[in-house]
Amino acid sequence: MMSPAEVHISWLGTLLALIFALSLGGLLWWMLHPPAPIGPAVARAFRGVSALKRILVPVKGTSYSDRAVELACRLGYDQQAEMILAYIIEVPLSLPLGTPLDQEEKKAREAIQRASEIVKLHGLKSIPVIERDRDVGRGVLRVVTDHDADLVVIGLNPRRVAAGDAVGKGIETILRRAGIEVIIDMVPEG
Amino acid sequence: MAAAQPVKAELRRDVTVWGSYMWGFADVGADTFVALGLVFAYAQGASPLAFLLAGTVYILIGLAYTELASAYPVAGGGQYFALRGLGDFWGFVSGAALILDYTIDIALFAYFAVTYFAHFVPALSEMTIALGPFHHVRIGLALATLALIAFLTWLNVRGMRESSLLNEVVGVLVILTETAIICMGLIFAWKPELLARQWSETFSSFDTGQFFYGASLAIISFVGLESISQAAQETRRPATVVPRTSVALIFTVFLFALSLSVLTLGMVDWRVFLDERNVGKSVTLVASGLPWIGPLAEDFVAVLAALVLTISANSGVMSVSRVAFSMSKFDFISSWFEHVHPRFRTPARTIVIFSAIGAIQVILASLTESAIDTLANMYAFGATLGYLLVMVSLIRLRFSDPYTPRPYRVPFNIALRRQGVTVHFPLLGLVGLIGVASIFVIVLLTHRIAAIAGPSWVALCFLYYAWYRRRRRLPVLRRVERDWESEQKAVLESAEEYDLLEQYRLALAERDRWYRRMAHSAERGLDS
Repeated sequence: MMSPAEVHISWLGTLLALIFALSLGGLLWWMLHPPAPIGPAVARAFRGVSALKRILVPVKGTSYSDRAVELACRLGYDQQAEMILAYIIEVPLSLPLGTPLDQEEKKAREAIQRASEIVKLHGLKSIPVIERDRDVGRGVLRVVTDHDADLVVIGLNPRRVAAGDAVGKGIETILRRAGIEVIIDMVPEG
Repeated sequence: MAAAQPVKAELRRDVTVWGSYMWGFADVGADTFVALGLVFAYAQGASPLAFLLAGTVYILIGLAYTELASAYPVAGGGQYFALRGLGDFWGFVSGAALILDYTIDIALFAYFAVTYFAHFVPALSEMTIALGPFHHVRIGLALATLALIAFLTWLNVRGMRESSLLNEVVGVLVILTETAIICMGLIFAWKPELLARQWSETFSSFDTGQFFYGASLAIISFVGLESISQAAQETRRPATVVPRTSVALIFTVFLFALSLSVLTLGMVDWRVFLDERNVGKSVTLVASGLPWIGPLAEDFVAVLAALVLTISANSGVMSVSRVAFSMSKFDFISSWFEHVHPRFRTPARTIVIFSAIGAIQVILASLTESAIDTLANMYAFGATLGYLLVMVSLIRLRFSDPYTPRPYRVPFNIALRRQGVTVHFPLLGLVGLIGVASIFVIVLLTHRIAAIAGPSWVALCFLYYAWYRRRRRLPVLRRVERDWESEQKAVLESAEEYDLLEQYRLALAERDRWYRRMAHSAERGLDS
């Protein structure tokens, strides 16, 4: 056993003591400062958005549907969501459902092409869908089911709303029966 | 066969960040007082290296515990992880290893508490007798240890409310005292030349066997991390708090063990630890070498060590009851062990039986050449077996349950895509598994008593387990089907870990969607 009075100071020992004290203090400080807790509603909202893996955007080739595509891309960017770009060709009851509608189909392809370019800008994957239905709303609902979508983002024509019209029968059908989250985007004109 | 989950009272979540850390430190913090002298007696001048080696493996084990305890914040610890990952049989083996460790914990820490106390009553260490073929039985220490175990048993049966305040005060005192010893020692008393001389002497005639024996004993400096997992069910926001307290505990204990061994090698001649009486009071020896405050520090450290070791022995009594409760809940042992004393409201049977096993271990160990060495051997066996199963469970659970959110993940993983979900294969987990498996093999090869008594204990427990399961008409080697998903949701909800609960629900929904898609594709394939 050594004498208790013996003092022996070395620079290496002092350095080691300093490293030890700083490491211990730093560790305990870090441990005692955990992040603040979050409530159930906040957690649901936070995780809900990050869970959107397939986002459906009904496209029409208009500026407001382009904006809806852009908005959907930004919502899905972090989790690299797939963009389902759906164009619904509304076939009047007076015509058989399979009637060739070249003009409409060309318009659908162009609208989807335009929307795909926006999706490509974000580096996301797009799934083009052209459907025929008697009713646009019902067509969108079918795409939701077939493609297992998590969210629908719809661009709304501001002129139509400004004119005092209803938001449209198709949108109302989607809102009532989609069973998934629906976002309607409308930017006032002017 | 589906087993009904028994209805149980929820444990109240009122353990804070500091409380969770101290819960672990009350157990692990005392280990240094036990291991320091023991490791020096075998690894000699290479002791810091032995602590570094064991500490590195311990860090990997600790990170695995951190991941599992924060992902599954329930009581049961390693036994629960093995049950979830590997099934009932391995869950039982892990439980048996834990019970061995906790009963040894009672025996070893009570023995060491008495040894430190003997600093004030040297006659206790001096008193030896010969009992038939057993010469040099340290009867003084053995009887005092048995008395201490009897006292702790009585206290726990009577329902002593464990004072978390006392634990925290003693824990803080231990941290401050060890920090003061290390800092003062390194600055004012540490001699690099003494360290270098002892180091080179050891390596000039290096005994690999002795070194690895010492390294395998060094692992006992780090036993007790389990307690944070045991406390997870009572911790507030466990998924957030447990990773922090676990990581802090792992690294503080590692820092203390490594620094104390470096300090000791530069202050004390390792040969003093060849005398078993010095092994039992190693930290007081170091404290006595401090300038100005040496004699005072020596007495203070002896009192503090005796106190913290008694608390640690007591935590063994309490923890073994928890493990027994958990094992009973999962039908590994009879619900007879769950019986609560009608008057004292304590699990009296469990406390008395397992404390008695601890007392028997003290008696048997006292008959051997070195009681400390024998108990430490068994402690190392139980700990490494339990750790081995935890490491395997970590890897297995990454594949079998990738849906449970892991607030903390052991770093360095290889991402693999499997059944529509990304699975992270833990490279460090594999390294840790190899490390702990190596130490387990070393323990079996170098610790004569542990190699026989350890597996015998597990085999004895297995006989009981097999008898009990057959009696209950439950499979012995296969697993019982359980609704883990509902249990996990309930656990996260009660823990108020809402973010994790949402993550878990979404992961399960994603999995179900993947299965639906696969079924849909299969149907289409059949149609076409």
